[in-house]
Amino acid sequence: MPDGSFAHPQQRQFNPYTDNGGTILAIAGADFTVIAGDTRQSEGYSIQTRYAPKVFRLTDRAVLAVNGFAADGNMFVKKVKQRLEWYRHAHAKDMPLRAIARLIQTMLYAQRFFPYYVYNILGGIEEDGSGAVYSFDPVGSYEREACRAAGAAQSLVQPFLDNQIYFKNQKAAPGTSHPTHLPLSDVLSIVIDSFTSATERHIEVGDGLEIYVVVARGRSPQGIEGIRGVQELSAQPNGDRTFILRRELKKD
Amino acid sequence: MFLTRSEYDRGVNTFSPEGRLFQVEYAIEAIKLGSTTVGVRTPEGVVLGVEKRVQSPLLESSSIEKIMEIDRHLGCAMSGLTADARTMIDHARVTAQNHAFTYDEQIKVESVTQAVCDLALRFGESVHDEDAMMSRPFGVALLIAGIDELGPQLFHTDPSGTFVRYDAKAIGSGSEAAQSELQDKWHKQMTLQEAQILVLRVLKQVMEEKLDHHNVQLAQVTPTGGFEILDEVRLKEIVDIM
Repeated sequence: MPDGSFAHPQQRQFNPYTDNGGTILAIAGADFTVIAGDTRQSEGYSIQTRYAPKVFRLTDRAVLAVNGFAADGNMFVKKVKQRLEWYRHAHAKDMPLRAIARLIQTMLYAQRFFPYYVYNILGGIEEDGSGAVYSFDPVGSYEREACRAAGAAQSLVQPFLDNQIYFKNQKAAPGTSHPTHLPLSDVLSIVIDSFTSATERHIEVGDGLEIYVVVARGRSPQGIEGIRGVQELSAQPNGDRTFILRRELKKD
Repeated sequence: MFLTRSEYDRGVNTFSPEGRLFQVEYAIEAIKLGSTTVGVRTPEGVVLGVEKRVQSPLLESSSIEKIMEIDRHLGCAMSGLTADARTMIDHARVTAQNHAFTYDEQIKVESVTQAVCDLALRFGESVHDEDAMMSRPFGVALLIAGIDELGPQLFHTDPSGTFVRYDAKAIGSGSEAAQSELQDKWHKQMTLQEAQILVLRVLKQVMEEKLDHHNVQLAQVTPTGGFEILDEVRLKEIVDIM
């Protein structure tokens, strides 16, 4: 209308976020941690790419998995890596895992009113040599746990992990107790089973699987070097060691 | 001497033709007028000691504060214009707290020393869009003691923003005599008590008054106790042993 009024009510929207699907998962062992994610990136029913990594190596002993809105995730990882480099220059050491966890909280909460639309799972080796998993919500609440799944198939995978890792709804045989930590081979089987199952039942999960394994310094890599297609990423074998294991997932 | 220095010792941002910043050099001179301050590092912790010049019998010696806490694991002793040190220690405290907030770990001794030294060089004309800066160099030197993952450490900072790590260091009016005494007596495997006694002996040598538990102050940083200023009772015990 010429007088500046409107004939009908009007609404405008700003939609800065998308959900790009995919699933991530991390499990802590006594002296190792496994961090995994599928590589499909989708928007609705269409696949944007079959290979978009969601798991990133941050330091010799820290690996970060990022799930949710891919653009935010990639930018967030870039910024975390920048902060790690600044820290290295200022303090002449790599940032310890629990310091990275706290840093991620402060970085996420700094965006409290325009958040990064991402769920983070940080895995690696703590200063005391134990395996550790930290999980985050998009605004920075975080917790150290033994295992965590996040993303599109979280509702499928997490109950499976609760049962297989925490032994929920399982009764130990008389005179025995459930182990607090599983050996690496068991953990890898659980991870691969989780993703093949999620691929079967969830359309946003599939294509490829990337599994990072971080083993504490001086601890046995428990035969991981013998597994098909394993690649070592660490520079010196006498520090903490990082391995990557890739597997195909169904593409339908 | 002053003839050659005239003109070039006016501004804090002008080098002399010989490449010197006289105001910074004068600031370093100001420390040599301050009371003697000693720091000693041992494998068990770091000990700091200061002389408190009690100029009048009416003065409350407990109100002279020359050793301050930066964080639970960091302490600091000063010599020179002690009022200037408040700005620096405030900066160090904020830096240490911010580090703990952001990284969930205690800041390293060297990192907090670096932060203080960054501040020491922020003098001169403030640039557009920057907060007002200090108009002159700080007239104080600090001994920063602390413990981190690299063990007990002792750092010395001066008004030029330079910092150096020491096993034992003395600053202030009696520093020359005190430093050579430290050089003679310090050894690698000192116990904390030996260090406390060494600090007191060194102070005693350079002090004009007779040393007692009113005119010196001792502090220590240990892995178990963190930073603590020794109270008069504990101080008196050590004075008596010495």
